[in-house]
Amino acid sequence: MNDKPEVWQGTLALMVLKTLEGAGSLHGYGIARQIERTSADLLSVNYGTLYPALLKLQQEGYITSEWGLSESNRKAKFYQLTRAGRKQMHKETEEWEQMTAIVARFLSPKEGMA
Amino acid sequence: MRKLREWILRIGGLFNKGRKDRELEEEIESHLRFQTEENLRSGMTADEARRQAMIKFGGMESTKESCRDQRGLPILETFLQDIRFGARQLRKNPGFTAVAALTLALGIGANTAIFSIVDAVLLRPLAYPDSGQLVSLSERGPDWSGGSLSYPNFTDWRNQQSVFEKFGVYSGNNFTLTGAGEPARLVGALMSADVFAALRAQPEIGRVFREDEDKRGAPPVAVISHALWQNRFGGNPAIVNKTISLDGKPYAILGVMPAGFEFPNKVDLWLPVGPFSAASSWQKRDNHPGLFGLARLKPGVTLEKARTDLDVIAVRLEQQYPDSNKTRGVQIDRLLDNKVGNVRRALWILLGAVSFVLVIACANVANLLLARAAAREKEIALRSALGAGRWRITRQLLTESGLLALLGAAVGLLFAKGALRVVAALAGESMPRADEISLDPRVLLFSGLVAVLTGILFGLAPAWHARRVDLQGTLKETGRGATSGRVGLRQGLVIAEVALTFVLLVGAGLLLVSFHRLLQVNPGFVADRVLTFHITLSGEKYQLVEQEILFCHALREKLRALPGVRAASLVSQAPLHEGGWDMRFLIEGRPEPPPHLQPSLQVHLIAPDYFQVMGIPLLQGRDFTEQDNREHLRGASSGNDWGAGLNAVIIDEEFAKRYWPNQNPLGQRVRIPFGEREKQPIVTIVGVVGRIKENRLSEQGGMVQAYFPMYQQPLQNMAVVVKTTNAPAAILTTMRQQVSQLDPAMPIFEIHTMREIRNNNVAPERLILGLLGGFAALALILAIIGLYGLLAFTVTQRQREIGIRMALGAQRFDVLNLVVGQGMRLVLIGAFIGLLGSFALTRVLASVLFKVEPADPLTFVTVTFLLFVVALLACYIPARRATKVDPMVALRFE
Repeated sequence: MNDKPEVWQGTLALMVLKTLEGAGSLHGYGIARQIERTSADLLSVNYGTLYPALLKLQQEGYITSEWGLSESNRKAKFYQLTRAGRKQMHKETEEWEQMTAIVARFLSPKEGMA
Repeated sequence: MRKLREWILRIGGLFNKGRKDRELEEEIESHLRFQTEENLRSGMTADEARRQAMIKFGGMESTKESCRDQRGLPILETFLQDIRFGARQLRKNPGFTAVAALTLALGIGANTAIFSIVDAVLLRPLAYPDSGQLVSLSERGPDWSGGSLSYPNFTDWRNQQSVFEKFGVYSGNNFTLTGAGEPARLVGALMSADVFAALRAQPEIGRVFREDEDKRGAPPVAVISHALWQNRFGGNPAIVNKTISLDGKPYAILGVMPAGFEFPNKVDLWLPVGPFSAASSWQKRDNHPGLFGLARLKPGVTLEKARTDLDVIAVRLEQQYPDSNKTRGVQIDRLLDNKVGNVRRALWILLGAVSFVLVIACANVANLLLARAAAREKEIALRSALGAGRWRITRQLLTESGLLALLGAAVGLLFAKGALRVVAALAGESMPRADEISLDPRVLLFSGLVAVLTGILFGLAPAWHARRVDLQGTLKETGRGATSGRVGLRQGLVIAEVALTFVLLVGAGLLLVSFHRLLQVNPGFVADRVLTFHITLSGEKYQLVEQEILFCHALREKLRALPGVRAASLVSQAPLHEGGWDMRFLIEGRPEPPPHLQPSLQVHLIAPDYFQVMGIPLLQGRDFTEQDNREHLRGASSGNDWGAGLNAVIIDEEFAKRYWPNQNPLGQRVRIPFGEREKQPIVTIVGVVGRIKENRLSEQGGMVQAYFPMYQQPLQNMAVVVKTTNAPAAILTTMRQQVSQLDPAMPIFEIHTMREIRNNNVAPERLILGLLGGFAALALILAIIGLYGLLAFTVTQRQREIGIRMALGAQRFDVLNLVVGQGMRLVLIGAFIGLLGSFALTRVLASVLFKVEPADPLTFVTVTFLLFVVALLACYIPARRATKVDPMVALRFE
């Protein structure tokens, strides 16, 4: 368990937003599990950073929260994406793709250089 | 925007913490349940599922902590925490807090009070637009300055200069207002239209006078003050273009100046100066009615440029009119300097002195904190051990001292408020711009800054010290870990306090000696039971000299006849009065020097009995007789030239000594070079009287004095002086009645006893002595408390050592010696440093001292003696306590 890489600081917010986009409304534990599942359990979410990150996203107005009942009838705090959050997600996704493309270009076998 | 939103929410997060903490806990709890359920589903036992869930979650507390940090503002929160903790610390030690805050309140309060005066009087610009460009102009000679200027010189200066945007003149002039209720004495000013323009002053209603109304032959007009408008004319706007009667002449009111416009000072009305310049005396370049100049420099013109420009003009006029203008120059000063120049030095001295008090107060509080730091050493060591960083502890200690300083400042503001009231009472009317002094936001900002600075200043020593606390040693040791370094620092502080106190004491001592000498100055007259008031003869009823003389004569007779009145007289200018009237004179039978080298005498016109009323001794010869007076009366009626009827003069002893040393001055003749030569009056000296102080008790030297019979030509403005048998105030009402019986339209004003006049004359000296003396006393008390505190502390610390010494046979005297010696060594060092500092610093006092050298040995010796006696006392009390140490108890201690 401990040898799994942890989610990087900057990307956690994006993963949360993306997860919420797919799930609509989800509690903290669900978000964490969903992220881990999406990564095919390759990643482990540090809960010590997840909850402050959720708080920050709320303060920034990208997500909202409210108390509700889970499918197992448990009281839990559910998070939802706001419209600003959706926009932010698209923006960050674009930035991320651009970034990975650039990084990929550096790492891919050099073509025109030889 | 997002950031802003986040910050606002974070600030919101500072409140309602309990609820948010509970919510977080619930959320984490629900998280754990989900995980536990999942673990259960994967086949774990209940306990194991819960355990694994918690392991998976990781550091619960640190998660909570980072959530809290994200929720609020960690820096602010620790700051608030520090403040709360500091406040608790202060509350827990009310004795310490009270002493420290009070000490600081004294220092900060005194500084606030003095700063508010310095700020209002010296630093803030005058209340005119762009007032930095305003300058005052006057005449100066080789050995005098600030003299009034003549109208012809003014017109020449104005026409030839090119540095001023506007340049006008003004002079004080009083008027009697009749026909609008009770007759009233109005304080007025004659002023050029250009003075309003230079000041950029706008009227409240109506308009000010124009250039064409400011010349000879122009119709009489006036501008009145807001106060006069309100008090006399009910604030009716229809006042504009109405006519009022001043000195029996009708004047049309052009406008009203707004409240707060006070130039040259608080006056009731302004008349254009031009129409007055028609009088022949106004056309003279010497022996003229005095005017003062006011100008606005053109943009970009410096004061220096204006000075050189006007100097050139003055030299030209010297050549053109050598008789009057030889050696006459132009004096230009910034208007602010001109107004407050006389108190500037005193105020800076006071600000310097009061900052000493603050430093001493700081040293004292630092000392207290250091003493307490010894007790807190363990607490601090414990906190370090628990992981508090050095910076964190320093911050905590500084927050605490800052809190203390702010507390001190708050109390200090109350002190300052009281102090300003005392200053106002001490200053009387001697302080320019006094009505502008207030505890306004600028001053509050200043005290706030001072508080923060002092907080850092006195908090730094203990905070610095806390950084070096030896963790292990302190925690291990059961006793105290007093290090010699701390005591060294505290000794240094006490030495500094003593040194600064010494300087202040010397300053106060010098001022005290100076003031004492000033009060002992013989003013030349007897102030007891003498009342003075002023009258003005103006208007239709006093067109002729005879009418004026008749009035004066009748008034004097009526006053003399009153029961309780010993003698009554009139004089052109009573002693110790502002201003004066001087004329040049020549001694008959001696070579005649050129006009600019001719000496001047101070003119006094007196009615009979003046010397009796004032108690001025007749040293030689005789007083004026009825015959002298009658002679003059005849002379006066025969011509309108000034002095035509003069034939006798009484001179003061200085006059006699200067011009007829070892000779009898009686019978000598003096010529007044006034007007055409053949009409110049020649007077014979008939008597010699004692010298009086003309303007100030502190004046030395000055012009010789001469008295002429008033009945030759009474003046418009005169002082009535009355010697009474009992307290003069008692018969003031009857005197008023006598005056109004003679002339119901005659106002009387400036009513004072000569004793009051004498006391007010030393108001500036009294103020600076009172304040500096107060500061010195405060400094002494603080320094003594500091010294006492340190010794008492060391006695407690050295209890065991003292006990051992006593057990080994030390006598009571040895112990006394030990403690007192330690204290007095500090005092000796401090006094020595203070002595050196005093020699350097009291020099700045030289200009405010009267007949005392800044290095007055008596003062230095007395101050040293006083300091040592008081210090000895402060040392003795803890020393005596040390002798009471029971060796057995001390040894068993710990």
